Amino acid sequence: MTPDMQLALPARAENIAIVRHAFGALGDAYALDPQTLSDIRLAVTEACTNVVVHAYPDGREGPMEVLATLMGDALTVVVRDEGKGIGPRPDSPGLGLGLPLIASLTESVRLGRDGGEHTEVRMTFSLTDAPHHHGATAHDAVSLVADPPLSQ
Amino acid sequence: MSDGPEPPYEGSASLRLANGPLVGPVLCRVVSMVLARANCPMDRLEDAMLICDALSAHAQTHAADGHLTFSVSARGGEFELRVSELPEQGASRLVEDAVLPGVGNVLERMADQLRIEPAADGAGEELVLGLSF
Repeated sequence: MTPDMQLALPARAENIAIVRHAFGALGDAYALDPQTLSDIRLAVTEACTNVVVHAYPDGREGPMEVLATLMGDALTVVVRDEGKGIGPRPDSPGLGLGLPLIASLTESVRLGRDGGEHTEVRMTFSLTDAPHHHGATAHDAVSLVADPPLSQ
Repeated sequence: MSDGPEPPYEGSASLRLANGPLVGPVLCRVVSMVLARANCPMDRLEDAMLICDALSAHAQTHAADGHLTFSVSARGGEFELRVSELPEQGASRLVEDAVLPGVGNVLERMADQLRIEPAADGAGEELVLGLSF
């Protein structure tokens, strides 16, 4: 399905603000509940931050893409990059809380590779229910999809 | 402490949107963010918003397949906005539509550069608008 919104930017920290503003506009256009929009923007910010911090660790600049598709009462957001893939990183500068936070804000989240060279985080948000109403823990909601296996 | 003046900001973004309510709000927000980061003065930012409003009001009727692509870039006091996925003659019709009574053609009046180019893939046209600040 063709996304309703597809945003491609260089993976730089300052561009995360542009993504957040784009989702603010999406929330206005679709008249999203403010709390739901806040959750969406926070989860997307975390996913984009992961791209900026982890996807291109050797200093080269790479792309960051954000795709949003509205289907019925669900919004699917994919954040993807052309980096090295998702995996353990002992030298990570972060606290490692990004993915659990994303999971707690979404209906479901899948990590993996698309059919091409992209590493992606695929998040689904329910637009009718706040995620904390589902009773899912962060661990329950995360699934790791590696086909082909994720690189590190 | 920096060793010298900061290099000029260079920003770019590509935006593909489905025809409908997203086009106006998302285009305006992304363009305003890119221009703000490029230290664009307020009067030129307002000109850019008028251009975005005109594009979002009229471009949707000229989209080739239900989607429009906007590519924005700002570097060194120059801003470019490229509208893609327009059919043959779509760009010229879009420019013709952007006329306000008593104001004239918004795109021609606000933009410092306006040109129509064949699409890179050979299908249709692209409208390129430039602003200097």
